[in-house]
Amino acid sequence: MATLNRRQILAAGAALSVAGTGFSLPVLAQSGRKSVTLALPRDVQPPFDPLNRLSFPEGNILRAVLQGLIAFKPGTFEWELSAAKRIEQVSDTVIEFELKPGLQFHGGFGELTADDVKFSFERAIKPGADGKPMLYGKDFAALKEVEVTGTYSGRIKLKTPAPALWQVVLPDNSGLIISRKAYEAGAYRTDQPTKVIGTGPYLLKEWRPNERVVLQANPAFQGPKPGFEEIILRPVRDSKTAELAFRADELQFTAIEPADAADIAKIPGAKILKQDSINFVWIGVNVEKPPFNDPRVRRAIRLAIDVDQVIEGAYNGAVGRAYGPVAPGLLGNWKDAPRHTRDVAAAKKLLAEAGVPTLRAKLTLLNKPAYQNAGIIVQAQLAEAGIALDLDVQEGGIFWSAGNGEAGKNLELSLQRFGGKADPSFQLQWFTASQIGSWNWQRWNSPEYDTLFAKAGSLTDPAERARLYIEAQKLIDESAAFIWLTHEVNVYALKDWLTPGILPNGDDQLYNRFSPA
Amino acid sequence: MRLLRRIGDRLATTALVLVGAVALVFALTLVIPGNPAQVLLGPRATPEAVQAFSQAMGLDRPVAERFALFLWNVLRGDLGNDVVSGRPIVTMVAEVLPYTVSLTLSAIGLAILFGVPLGCYAATHPGSLIDRAAAAVSIGFIAIPNFVVAILLLMVFSVWLDWFPVLGVSRSGTLGDQLARLALPALSLALGWIGYIARLLRASLLDVLGEAHIRTLRAYGVAERVIVYKYALKPAAIPTVAVLGLGVGRLLGGAIFAEIVFARPGIGTLVYDAIASRNYPVVQACVLVVVGLFTLTNLLVDLSYAWLDPRIAKAEER
Repeated sequence: MATLNRRQILAAGAALSVAGTGFSLPVLAQSGRKSVTLALPRDVQPPFDPLNRLSFPEGNILRAVLQGLIAFKPGTFEWELSAAKRIEQVSDTVIEFELKPGLQFHGGFGELTADDVKFSFERAIKPGADGKPMLYGKDFAALKEVEVTGTYSGRIKLKTPAPALWQVVLPDNSGLIISRKAYEAGAYRTDQPTKVIGTGPYLLKEWRPNERVVLQANPAFQGPKPGFEEIILRPVRDSKTAELAFRADELQFTAIEPADAADIAKIPGAKILKQDSINFVWIGVNVEKPPFNDPRVRRAIRLAIDVDQVIEGAYNGAVGRAYGPVAPGLLGNWKDAPRHTRDVAAAKKLLAEAGVPTLRAKLTLLNKPAYQNAGIIVQAQLAEAGIALDLDVQEGGIFWSAGNGEAGKNLELSLQRFGGKADPSFQLQWFTASQIGSWNWQRWNSPEYDTLFAKAGSLTDPAERARLYIEAQKLIDESAAFIWLTHEVNVYALKDWLTPGILPNGDDQLYNRFSPA
Repeated sequence: MRLLRRIGDRLATTALVLVGAVALVFALTLVIPGNPAQVLLGPRATPEAVQAFSQAMGLDRPVAERFALFLWNVLRGDLGNDVVSGRPIVTMVAEVLPYTVSLTLSAIGLAILFGVPLGCYAATHPGSLIDRAAAAVSIGFIAIPNFVVAILLLMVFSVWLDWFPVLGVSRSGTLGDQLARLALPALSLALGWIGYIARLLRASLLDVLGEAHIRTLRAYGVAERVIVYKYALKPAAIPTVAVLGLGVGRLLGGAIFAEIVFARPGIGTLVYDAIASRNYPVVQACVLVVVGLFTLTNLLVDLSYAWLDPRIAKAEER
């Protein structure tokens, strides 16, 4: 049997030492500005298909590789032309578009034409080859057909007016255009995950599961040159690891906890970006379950909670307070919404009137530090009003099923956080009666609300839509089943030479708009 | 012949253990709250999409049918397809398994490399300063959770000293880069085991050094170093090898902390994500693979006893 002598062991040790001197070289090599490494909150999953994508990390990659007719501008939900040279709503149910000529799908799949637009959008309303509907097919629920009127021109015909199409579909992931020819050749499917054929600023060069995604600048892209020749996306699940990797310059951009911002800002060459979010966090009360079916009990709970104190404790004062689900700046934001303040005496009086001077309740919440802190503060506040609150802290898998089906009937209070989009119809859709048993965990049922919501969704006049959405939010407020906490804030650590491209909800990012400052 | 029969017996036991483990995991997936389809598709999922996904996962089929189908497919070497991406689970496991195995073996290797000499020294110099210091440090490293050690190592060696990278693995990098990215995760797992092996070996070596045949060797004037390393270490290593066998199993599962903290691919992160998203086929497949590796390791450990101490082989022959 071979054995190592002392000399060989020493030689191996020396070799390791030499290797050690080169250990930091890859880190130094990343300081060039042709490449940037960004953190992903989790690994991405194929298929990289706009209508069958899993969630926002996959969507952000698709946004960089494909083009829509229009695209969001960074930092806003305003849109600009992308693949379209011209696009116009010519009537309530018809949108005309004309494509820029000469946009080439990479990989030799030819020019982007109106037929590709027709194929991309109509896939949403027709079952796939396997007979299954597209995961995001409902985004195009109002679509009747896309009529091709020329090589580069067409008409999007709708069954009913759908103003939200301009905000949550056409400039977003579902509105991205794929190549019919490439699709028929097997692209955008799971068996060839990186075969994502587009006309966008980047190519999906590499996806190594749980390791990295590499986007490479598309030399044939006809728009503004992207900021980097290469973007590397690294899945980093642990926020502390992401922070350490940022400190070691292995990541140049990562989301961080608001509480860590001040510390990270002290790192030389680092800067902190804080951005008001449009997501919404609230405490909901199940209006079906006694004694919470009594509006007096719900009002008492709302009166017993000091929201300002809750968000100060849970978020270290880094976020502002929310007064409704639609954030300031968005159409339908109710800027005159009531500012409910704490009144423990009034809360006790209401509970006594409802015949429950002492009450035991359960708050179901996610096992995230900010939410747990919020739960503890609410627990203390409700105790002063005679309400003993049990905290039911759950991990994501259990939590996100807590309000579904029959289980949802047993839910009492829940602390929820939903993501926002540019159109209020997205935020307000979850409170309709049809969502009871799915995402309307308050099980709040208001036919009047449903009517207002449906009507607002089919109008094209923005002012009238806004008015109806505000009326709908008044009904939400009257129910006292929703205690709005915050729209949150997105906080990022990034190198001072980097300009990011982030949309207001934080989750959606425009990799093609990341650039050296 | 006896050896072959023994291997055959152990393989039969292994098969039973595998079926039992899979049955247990399968049963657990039935009682864990949370609709997998809803968890996977997230808050925007429509009821239609949830239903379609449930069908794709086979959740609408009777439990017994699902279990029987899974076992039958396993026997055919088919672990099924991932319900999220539709990719074959065998491929997904094969992609990450080398990372977990290399991490586990590196950690065990480091533990042996440092733990064995430390244990030998402590046994031959009981009560010395190094023995006492090693005891204190060992207990310290055993007591501190892996993920805390991992964060500390990152702070010191990656952020302050800039000797090692923070993140994951590097397929395209040089061998030095690969080793650099493996060093801290392996060390974070190994530190506790170094102390454990050192303490265990110290105790068993002290026992063996007190036995009659060792006294005879001393009486013949054999050098103490030869006595320790040639005659005492092999039989004294049996408890340590047994613990290492279990340790490989624990590390295969325990590597999850290192994989998450160091953002490395591996079985741990694969199963972590799968559990969080209720992706049961992937969970079942990962458990099957880990249990398989665990039992295989312990089979090798069992077989090594006879080599380490011929008295065991002789006793079995009787």
